[in-house]
Amino acid sequence: MTAPDKPPETGKLTRRPRGKQDQPLLRVPNELARRNLKATQRLVEREKDYLLPALKDATNAAIAKTKTPDQTLADLDAMIARMKGFKQKMENLKEEETKIQTQTRKRIEHLEALNHIPSLADVKYEQWSRVRLDRLLVDHMLRSGFVESAEALAKENGIEDLVDLDVFKQCQRIFESLRKGETKSALQWCAENKAALKKSELNLEFELRLQQYIELVRSPDPEKKIEAIAYARKWLVSTQSEQNKDILRAAGMLVLTQDTKVEPYKTLFSDERWEFLAHLFLKTHHDLLSLPVEPLLNIALSAGLSALKTPLCHSAYASSSTNSASTATSVCPICSTELNELARDLPYAHHSKSYVAGDAIVLPNGRVYSKAKLMDISRQAGLAENGKVKDPTTGEIFDEDEMKKVYIM
Amino acid sequence: MMDLTLKEHDRLVKRLNASQGIKNVQAVIDQLQSVRDAIAAVPEEAAVTLAKHHSPVKSSVDAINESLKETHSGLNKYNKALDKLFKDRPLPSTKHDALFKKKHLTNRAIAMHLLREGQFSVAATFLSAITEKRATMEGGFSPRTTEQAANLLDIDEVPSTEIRKQFAAMYYILHELKENRNLLPAITWSRENREALAARGSNLEFELCRLQYVWLYHNKSLEPTNQPGNWKAAMEYARQEFADLGPRYQAEIQRLLGAMAFIPNLQGSPYAAIFNNSSAWEEVSQSFTGEFCSLLGLSADSPLYIAATAGAVALPTLLKLQTIMKAKRTEWTSENELPVEIPLPPAYLFHSIFVCPVSKEQATDENPPMMMPCGHVIAEESLKRLSKGNRFKCPYCPNESHFKDARKIFL
Repeated sequence: MTAPDKPPETGKLTRRPRGKQDQPLLRVPNELARRNLKATQRLVEREKDYLLPALKDATNAAIAKTKTPDQTLADLDAMIARMKGFKQKMENLKEEETKIQTQTRKRIEHLEALNHIPSLADVKYEQWSRVRLDRLLVDHMLRSGFVESAEALAKENGIEDLVDLDVFKQCQRIFESLRKGETKSALQWCAENKAALKKSELNLEFELRLQQYIELVRSPDPEKKIEAIAYARKWLVSTQSEQNKDILRAAGMLVLTQDTKVEPYKTLFSDERWEFLAHLFLKTHHDLLSLPVEPLLNIALSAGLSALKTPLCHSAYASSSTNSASTATSVCPICSTELNELARDLPYAHHSKSYVAGDAIVLPNGRVYSKAKLMDISRQAGLAENGKVKDPTTGEIFDEDEMKKVYIM
Repeated sequence: MMDLTLKEHDRLVKRLNASQGIKNVQAVIDQLQSVRDAIAAVPEEAAVTLAKHHSPVKSSVDAINESLKETHSGLNKYNKALDKLFKDRPLPSTKHDALFKKKHLTNRAIAMHLLREGQFSVAATFLSAITEKRATMEGGFSPRTTEQAANLLDIDEVPSTEIRKQFAAMYYILHELKENRNLLPAITWSRENREALAARGSNLEFELCRLQYVWLYHNKSLEPTNQPGNWKAAMEYARQEFADLGPRYQAEIQRLLGAMAFIPNLQGSPYAAIFNNSSAWEEVSQSFTGEFCSLLGLSADSPLYIAATAGAVALPTLLKLQTIMKAKRTEWTSENELPVEIPLPPAYLFHSIFVCPVSKEQATDENPPMMMPCGHVIAEESLKRLSKGNRFKCPYCPNESHFKDARKIFL
């Protein structure tokens, strides 16, 4: 039997496709725009705090005549130079802002295009869906650290504005630096996102500081231990009381060496902590941008593979409905070698009704086919004239009158 | 909803474009410059000049801050529009980490997808990235768990050179066919695979040859003639090649040759449709792609594309269900089967489905469909329950039979 030819009864197929799963697509640039504003605010605040007092000092000095006019001119030149630098920085931020908003606009338009596609069966939906797949693939590549591949794919398919190359590049860089045992860029990232991180429950910064402290404690040099105590006073004790327990533990580490077998100190001294920090950073970073921690492709695939999967896809017996040796129709995507193993542990789709060709017959070997299609294949094999039919799955030849009607309700 | 977002974004952009921030920075620079110029001109009045300009400079600086407030409120409004758009939409997540553990298989599927979409250079970049990663993982630390070790070995399942060669061949043939209207590479391929294609009941070779015949007839550039069509070239081709196609297409071939008798009025003949099929090239390309992939054991459309699209259709339902189940604190009853039916387009149904009309359960290897002598089918477990080892009546007709009379069928 080839793929059953009568469509299932469902009016829902005409329903309009919606892009609501594409939340990250708009959330990420929105978050970037807010960061850009924060950076601008900080810059303006800093320049204001420089300029107004400087101007006031110059005025007072001129009134008190403690500075010569030439000195005043030199002060003014310094102010002008600094303001020119300020303007340049403002222009850079503005440029970034424009880029973000152009991208946002393209993304809204991409999602909006879905509203003009009447049904899932429309050709335009296929095009749209291919773009979506490309987006998911780029996302997967970026999250796996295959930046070059991601960039190549985005460029070749013209979807650079629909993917967050820069965001993931930065994220990947910090992630890798943590795995190598460096906290510098992660701490810098924390400073840049201080306001947003206050709401985060993950305490990334505390954990990073704790790690720095651990590195100082680890050293056998007594000087370093003293340094560690000072570091702890400055960075650990000053933070909230919630982390009291952690602070006590940190203090306990001072009397132990790094080869201790005592928990929790063994874990704290362990190199595995870098891996933990790297993943904590990843989680914090994605939370801030409303990005799922899982690749979007996994989310779409686990739903899609299940929706397509049938018990026949991993059956020990070749399915009569679709297999490479039999009919002129396409191989089932779950049976196709690309996805078969991947789908093995996922649940199969739920069906409440059988779904078989209307003219189903059964051959003596138990295989069920659409009669019309079986006759067609037999005719092409030049067998029909002799009253024979060929089972396309097994290759067996039967007499035409051995076909028996089967009733599937 | 989406157009509301679009409108709000429009407003935001207008606001941002109208922003006076940088202009005000320039104003500050200009003011400082004019103070400097004035003092340079009349140095003795420096104090007065400075004092006089202090407050204008300050108000320019304040204006910069004002413009930022504008930006801030614009962003807030747009943000609210987004919140509204995605209201009650949790970020999608999956309960199954089955895919996470099989990242190497996902990568392989992606590589295959890129190859079958003809994106050979991206595929090459991607494959070398996978190989490189594997090398550093093997060289660097020893894998932490046995599972990771197993995954590393499996990365060897990346598409073999053979598959890559095959796809390259497929793309060459398709390119010639679509771009250059050159059917010969496709015909050569179909001849090389004649047996396998025939076993599948495919007509590809005949379809290709027929199109070549029609194409030769239409192609006047071969040998300019005064005729409306180049029938000589077509007939020549028919003489050389059609005989080889065998008795299967006898009738069709006669029709094709017979058409030539209607020249010059082919358009008015019963054969017009064969010679004026505008989608013929597209149809032949599709059927070629389908056959080529099938012979490799692959589906014609990218499985990754079909699965991702099916996923997009299924996700809203599954997410809703997740939310409900979380609220009710229940779990799916069956881990093997999705708890709800997902309506997919008919083109996305590849297998027959058997749901036992008695138990309402889908048939599986453990519980296969069984046909009773009357031709009605129920699942094996239902059959056992009904028969209890005795003769029993079919639930759908008066026929009586015994358990051992029922036969397993294969859908």
